[in-house]
Amino acid sequence: MSTFTIIPIVFVIGLVGAVMAYRRSRALVGKDGVKMHSRPTYHASFVACWGIIPALLTLAVWLIVSPIVISTNVSGNFPEGVLAQSQLTEGLAYGIVESIGTGLRVLPDDERATITDTTPVADVTALLRNRGIPTASAATDWMVPLALQLNSLQFWSRWAMTLVVFVVAVAGTFWSYRQIAPRLRARNNVERIVNGALIAASSIAIMTTVGIVFSMLFETIDFFSRISPAEFFFGTVWEPRFSNVGSSGNAGSFGFIPLLAGTLYIGAVAMLIAVPIGLFAAIYMAEYADNRTRSIVKPLLEVLAGIPTIVYGFFALITVGPFLRDLSAQISGLVSGNYVSFIEAQSVLTAGLVMAIMLIPFVSSLSDDIITSVPTSLRDGSLGLGATRSETIKRVILPAALPGIVSAVLLTASRAIGETMIVVLAAGVAANLTLNPFEPMTTITVKIVAQLTGDLEFNTPQTLVAFALGMTLFVITLCLNVYALYIVRKYKEQYE
Amino acid sequence: MMENIQATLHKGPAVEASRPIKMTSKDVIVHYGAKQALNGITLDIPERQVTALIGPSGCGKSTYLRCLNRMNDTIDSAKVAGKILLDGEDVYDPDIDVVELRARVGMVFQKPNPFPKSIYENVSYGPKIHGLAHSKQEMDEIVHTSLRKAGLWREVHDRLDEPGTGLSGGQQQRLCIARAIAVSPEVILMDEPCSALDPIATATVEELIDELRENYTIVIVTHSMQQAARVSQLTAMFHLGDLAEVGPTEKMFSNPDDKRTQDYITGRFG
Repeated sequence: MSTFTIIPIVFVIGLVGAVMAYRRSRALVGKDGVKMHSRPTYHASFVACWGIIPALLTLAVWLIVSPIVISTNVSGNFPEGVLAQSQLTEGLAYGIVESIGTGLRVLPDDERATITDTTPVADVTALLRNRGIPTASAATDWMVPLALQLNSLQFWSRWAMTLVVFVVAVAGTFWSYRQIAPRLRARNNVERIVNGALIAASSIAIMTTVGIVFSMLFETIDFFSRISPAEFFFGTVWEPRFSNVGSSGNAGSFGFIPLLAGTLYIGAVAMLIAVPIGLFAAIYMAEYADNRTRSIVKPLLEVLAGIPTIVYGFFALITVGPFLRDLSAQISGLVSGNYVSFIEAQSVLTAGLVMAIMLIPFVSSLSDDIITSVPTSLRDGSLGLGATRSETIKRVILPAALPGIVSAVLLTASRAIGETMIVVLAAGVAANLTLNPFEPMTTITVKIVAQLTGDLEFNTPQTLVAFALGMTLFVITLCLNVYALYIVRKYKEQYE
Repeated sequence: MMENIQATLHKGPAVEASRPIKMTSKDVIVHYGAKQALNGITLDIPERQVTALIGPSGCGKSTYLRCLNRMNDTIDSAKVAGKILLDGEDVYDPDIDVVELRARVGMVFQKPNPFPKSIYENVSYGPKIHGLAHSKQEMDEIVHTSLRKAGLWREVHDRLDEPGTGLSGGQQQRLCIARAIAVSPEVILMDEPCSALDPIATATVEELIDELRENYTIVIVTHSMQQAARVSQLTAMFHLGDLAEVGPTEKMFSNPDDKRTQDYITGRFG
């Protein structure tokens, strides 16, 4: 039975148990006026949990463990020495065996019956090809019996799994149903299960982060075994050559400094514009605007946050970039009489400006919530002493809201550093190292995309560098977040 | 109940003969949106005395108090009509500077609300924004005097740099009073200043109010009739947005004219 049939059946078993538990619990109450510790719904949930959760856990464990067990079993039967001869790795050979096995399962029964341990692989491939199933050319005769063995192992494993899971479900339901009694603390038990579920949910987020780090870590280590970290971290030239197969001589330069500089420069320009504007907008909305204005302006600002960044990219490419270029031409024309634009259409300034537009709603929306949550009593206290609104904001509200605002700003900075689409379209993909904000630069994320797209061989420094870049970016944003936490703690201590 | 209050009264401060009027209100009507909260209050507040506003919850006494220094302006939906005069000047006159008015008519709130700053900065806040001190010494002087007047000096003089929020509830409330005194107001409004305090802290604050009477005109909203009897010379009884009765505190608690006052102070409602 397939997994997707098993799961609903387990749920049905649990639900049937729950309904029965509910009725039994009701019956107990009615019988001789005993006082139940828990309400019938808790008994029902208790039984449902015991019916469903252990069964699903068994299912999950089986699904993870059985392929491992089967593959060890089958790989153990690989003929000695054959692998070395045919230049196949064990994993690759097992992959071919597996695909033959899958193919065999698709064949109609009468055709499958003709295949035995001694059938030559050529016949099998012919049969499979008739059904439109391709097989690897490296398939050899000894793989056929192994494919058959694999299929039978999988078949029995599946049956055993179905049986075991149902037994666990029924046993769990039955056992917990038997537990129902006036003194059963079903309510507390359900509470514990809810607690466990919540812990599981939060640990999934942590485990995922750890998993992501590890997935990048190995490729990064691989990269650094080819290119020295010193060259990567301190190199000022970014120029990875295209790799030709076999030409491992010159991979180009992987200097990371131009990308880091571009990332920080564009991010800084964006933050420099977005933070003051966003903060002032938030202060206006939280402290000055009456309810009607607020109810109109706030959703409008939040619409801005919902625009996909690629659209901001268009805006930069079509409108802002050319506008800045023409403006600079006019200015230089007025000043020197020579109409030369000193701002390029794709520049740090363009990207920073457009990214700032994207960030304003984030800053303002987050800060607005934080400022509004400063207690009214502080506001009244200051106003009651004869302070004006702006004095109150400057001296009481902003200091009290500062930890929150700092973390909002750093959260926004993480977004600025991670932004890709706007940079591609507004600042280009050229990795320059310059201090001039009117020239194009590019960022780490843009180069990650550039290195990973296109027909590149995976196992080269040109591709692997993307992982090193990703890892570095991860560390940078991690440091930023840790610093934000540190600041928030420090100010919280001061203000509590 | 009645005996209790009368016992308190005998120990209480004597009512002084007719004082000059500090603030006066004529037909003050307040609306919150469509709801009318005050139906025309006419009341005179004598100088350098404690005026207590009593009455059951929702009777409008806090609303009236917040009209006196225009704190109701901070509530969008509040509309105030009528006249309120401070030394003969209409506080709702468009020419009046609200900021200056609030410096002259200070306020202490129900819940102690010290700023999340040090004790010193809490007190120096008002003088700083109003430019009352021209040097560090002058500021120190103002802060120390205010803390002394608020009876807090002995407890905090060696830790002025510590956050005001770290003090106990009663100390926080006295810090708020010190903060209000520091801008040298003429009138201090207190909105149930002891409702969040324990009995000992309440007693300290009440003593303080009695001392402050020498220099300031005080208006206090209170739920506790004993407190009104203990600290005030004039009592105004509010009921459902009306001023039921006003008179010398002693008379109010011993021989009220109004049936509602009598019912309230004998505990029949409220």
